[in-house]
Amino acid sequence: MRRLLPRRLGLRDRVALGFGLMSLVLATVLAGAAWLLVSAYLTAQQEEAALAQATDHALTIRAGVRAGQDVATLVDRLHYPEDGAALLVLDGERYRGTTTTDATFPQDLVRRTESAGGAPVHETSHGGTYLAVGIPMGEGDVFLELFPRADLVRTLRALWLSLLVSAVATTLLGMVAGRVVARRLIRPVEEVTAAAAAIAQGDLDARLDPGADTDLAELAASFNQTARSLQNRVRADARFAGDVSHELRTPLTTMVNAMESLKHRRRLLPAAAREPLDLLDHELERFRQLVIDLLEISRADSGDEEVAEPVRVPDLVRRAADAAAGRPVTFVEPDAEHLEVEADRRRLAQVVTNLVTNAELHGGGCTSVRVEAAGRDVLLVVDDAGPGVPVGSRQRIFERFTRGPEREEGGFGLGLAIAARHVAWHRGTISVADAPEGGARFVVRLPISSGAVAPATAPTTNVGA
Amino acid sequence: MLLIEDDPRVRRSLHLALQDEGYEVGEAASGAAGLHQLRAQAPDVVLLDLMLPDTDGFAVCREVRRWTDVPVIIVSARTDSHDVVAGLEAGADDYVTKPLVAKELSARIRALMRRAHQPQATDPRTLDLGDISVGVDSGVVTVGGVEVDLTRTEFRLLVELCRNEGQVVSREDLLERVWGYGYLGDGRIVDVHVHRLRVKVEADPANPHHVVTARGLGYRAVP
Repeated sequence: MRRLLPRRLGLRDRVALGFGLMSLVLATVLAGAAWLLVSAYLTAQQEEAALAQATDHALTIRAGVRAGQDVATLVDRLHYPEDGAALLVLDGERYRGTTTTDATFPQDLVRRTESAGGAPVHETSHGGTYLAVGIPMGEGDVFLELFPRADLVRTLRALWLSLLVSAVATTLLGMVAGRVVARRLIRPVEEVTAAAAAIAQGDLDARLDPGADTDLAELAASFNQTARSLQNRVRADARFAGDVSHELRTPLTTMVNAMESLKHRRRLLPAAAREPLDLLDHELERFRQLVIDLLEISRADSGDEEVAEPVRVPDLVRRAADAAAGRPVTFVEPDAEHLEVEADRRRLAQVVTNLVTNAELHGGGCTSVRVEAAGRDVLLVVDDAGPGVPVGSRQRIFERFTRGPEREEGGFGLGLAIAARHVAWHRGTISVADAPEGGARFVVRLPISSGAVAPATAPTTNVGA
Repeated sequence: MLLIEDDPRVRRSLHLALQDEGYEVGEAASGAAGLHQLRAQAPDVVLLDLMLPDTDGFAVCREVRRWTDVPVIIVSARTDSHDVVAGLEAGADDYVTKPLVAKELSARIRALMRRAHQPQATDPRTLDLGDISVGVDSGVVTVGGVEVDLTRTEFRLLVELCRNEGQVVSREDLLERVWGYGYLGDGRIVDVHVHRLRVKVEADPANPHHVVTARGLGYRAVP
């Protein structure tokens, strides 16, 4: 009894089923009570009427016999209900007064009426289709009468049917009502779920409307409080990263330019100094790229505002990808030639640049960048000639500071994280799979402009109805 | 060129690296010293750090713009986009962010210098856009017969738009032809310069009739 309903059912289904069961029980009890009361009342009424009529007939016969009338005629002339029958036992003789029925009387009814001690006897017979009544007339004389019950049986059957139908209807209605109520009850839960999911996906501006429902105000308030502290925390982290890289920029400027001067005089340096110079130069370039990437990330995290405007994707991709690869790599499908998305040019170009640069540095070279139309989306497909990305790493690769299995040339694994971040800002998705010719295939899916400018943040989610 | 930068090591290293790139570099450690040197030396390009000990770079930039159209490149240490836009609005021609490398900076400077001295011989001597008249060779622009003072970048931008009168020119194309950028230039440079240009040549800069925006595409010159 602990668990009446299987756990697999959702809350909404369980509430609906609960409402249904409750309506079923209620409808059954009500229908049962109605049935018992009405059928007992109708039966009692018929018996009363039958007894009264039979008694009346018996009295008429007795009066007629005393007045010396012919007994057979007397019995025959009485008014019986249609399909009814009568039998008079007088001084051992039997007189049958009949209408149209062949129905016979219950066998020992005469004897039982005689021995009833003066009280009338009644019982149903012929499988409930007749009511047989016996009136004792004294000195062994008995008057029996049969009353048809077909009408009553029909009425009761109709009653039973209508009660059954209404019970079923009530149960179904209960289930429907349960679903409606459950949906209303669950809506706030769904809104909380949606807001939590939005936050999980990086939209830290998602909030619940605390004013919508007094019962849920507390939940909404504490949810918003949590989201706010999370956002503050993330912003503070971003600011810290931004401050750190900002402080790094000034000395870095000195270092890279001093290095430029040194490189300019490389020929003048002793051979033994050239290798450490090259090493230093190499690391300095990596360091510079890292600081630039960190600044880009902290800029995105701290919510730097950018403008979305219609951008013709193929043009932008062609410029960015070909420049990043240093050779033409872009193929635009004919039906994608004029596609526009609401985008931030700088960020979108950065996505393309980072994907192509990643393919060049870690993927054995970029083999192609394709722009395709796919329903309401535009796809950017970047293929490379490298070993591909293992299935287990395909999520992780878009996180910060993830790098390939080997310690390869350059790259601190921020490029793909920045790309993923910027794609999400455009309400798009990014994924990696195997390219048909081997190598990795990065696919960016961006929604095509529908005329409206995509808002940079999700609207506040409302709690309650 | 003149380098206005307060950090001595940054200033020195940039000086050396830019010298290797073939520039004659003058140094100034503050805004006041920078303005003083600017009058004395008349450099071809000014490289201006936004954070200076005595005054901020925006004020220096505005002061420079009061009497010379020398190309100004601002150096920003912040990524904050407000800085960049404010610097451009103060009259700068271009911007770079730290950590900047002399070699890349040199490409920017060359582009600015080239377009500052390079009218195209094939052009007609004057281009007309309604009541605006642009003397391509002379560099003189008049609106309704009255001469207006454009910076060299504003002038090049106007010439580029007039040459393609009636056609939409994308921001990317303008960045490429006017600023010598590749694809990754910042479109806001174009926007701010168009805004500054409108203030000077349009009767009502808020409702421009000659330099018209084609939303999402670029800009168009209309007679």
